Amino acid sequence: MKRGHIIALGVFIALILLVSLGITFVGKVPMTTDVRPLGLFYLKNSYFGNYAARSPEVVTSILWDYRGLDTLFETGVFFLAIISALALFRIEKKEEKVKEKGEGFTFIVKDTVRIISVLIVAVSAAIALHGHLTPGGGFQGGSALAVVPLLIIVAFSKYALEGRGLTKDTAMIVRSIGLISIIILVLIPLAAGGYLMQNLPVFPSHILGQLTSGSLVFYNLFEYIAVGAGFTAVFLLLSIPEKVFHKIIGGEKE
Amino acid sequence: MIFIHLVILAISMILGFVFSYLAIMEEDLLKAVIYSAGQGVMFSIAFYILMAPDVLLAYIAIAIGIYTALLVFVISKTERKEVV
Amino acid sequence: MIEMFLWALVLVSLMATLVISIYGIVIRPSLIKKLIALTILTDSANLLAIMIGYRLIYPVIPPVLPQRTQEGLSKFIASSVDPLPQALVITAVVIGMAVNVLIAFAIIQIYRICGTTDVRKIAEVMKDGKT
Repeated sequence: MKRGHIIALGVFIALILLVSLGITFVGKVPMTTDVRPLGLFYLKNSYFGNYAARSPEVVTSILWDYRGLDTLFETGVFFLAIISALALFRIEKKEEKVKEKGEGFTFIVKDTVRIISVLIVAVSAAIALHGHLTPGGGFQGGSALAVVPLLIIVAFSKYALEGRGLTKDTAMIVRSIGLISIIILVLIPLAAGGYLMQNLPVFPSHILGQLTSGSLVFYNLFEYIAVGAGFTAVFLLLSIPEKVFHKIIGGEKE
Repeated sequence: MIFIHLVILAISMILGFVFSYLAIMEEDLLKAVIYSAGQGVMFSIAFYILMAPDVLLAYIAIAIGIYTALLVFVISKTERKEVV
Repeated sequence: MIEMFLWALVLVSLMATLVISIYGIVIRPSLIKKLIALTILTDSANLLAIMIGYRLIYPVIPPVLPQRTQEGLSKFIASSVDPLPQALVITAVVIGMAVNVLIAFAIIQIYRICGTTDVRKIAEVMKDGKT
């Protein structure tokens, strides 16, 4: 950190304090103390009421029930972004295994990663599957799950994952299974005579005495699979050594 | 007391501003990534104080874990210094 | 009054973060630095959206129903924050991450073709037509 940065930061923070003091004395700070009518509707109707999703978690019920189509198309954007990233990095030839120099990390790092990765998988599954009861859901659980292949790639190598069968193609297949299941879940209420992405009368709110909030638990499960596997595929591609690409790109040019 | 909430919120927001200033002005990109992760920590404290646990769970995994690792991968594949 | 000052301080420092990230996107030459500034901009915009849904009252709780009874519901409505901005921001965070991955891959591809991540040098290389 240079001396000029410290002085500039001091000036900026003093300016921020002055401006906020000025705003306070003018008295034009928006301080809301009540919920807007639309938010109030969701808070009232999430568990009780005629338009209920039977879920005590209001955010998840907005995500997958009240504004479900928005989330569906956001999932489409996610799909497109991952697909275009994979298209930028495509390798048509079969890639060779690059011998790495050195011995890697010590056993402390490796054993810690072995234990921690199992724990993270368990925690992320809990976040995703309890998404209709407590804070959490498919997006959150999936992004927590994506930390696991990253840790394994950093601590061991990408060949540790690929040797156990988790290649890019497997991750893509798992992700496609998740997305196709979401599409099928969207279409089921149409077949049962309801609307697109309808939740409650079509799906049961309790299964075996457990509160499942209709289709929310299934959407969370499949979104968890799709997000986790999508990020896994991206990181498997990103960890290919640059030598492989230089060989392929250089070969095409000449 | 809402006073204590607001004090914690204000401190974390000012520290978030400091970290983002350092991240943008730093010429060594690897250090900039670390500062950016610090900004992520401060913003996740702010999300917690603002009563958004759902956003917090997604944000803390993405902004501190995945995103930092992504940028470290990108820097290792490209170049580390920024020439202004 | 002191609460109003603190809330104004929070809002003004968030605005300052927005401005400095826009500076980073526009002025700084490195593409990776532009990506870092873009994520800071996204995060501050998300935080601003969450702040719109916050309520400045004391017993304030997250939008999760604590008890499944009618009295619990009325207490919950009296003190819960607005859930709608949070629901919109969750998807924005995760989808923003996927789009950032795409941008990062594009930066690596540009580096392979042009040999630099500096926008001025990229412009020169593109003008000369040599790779």
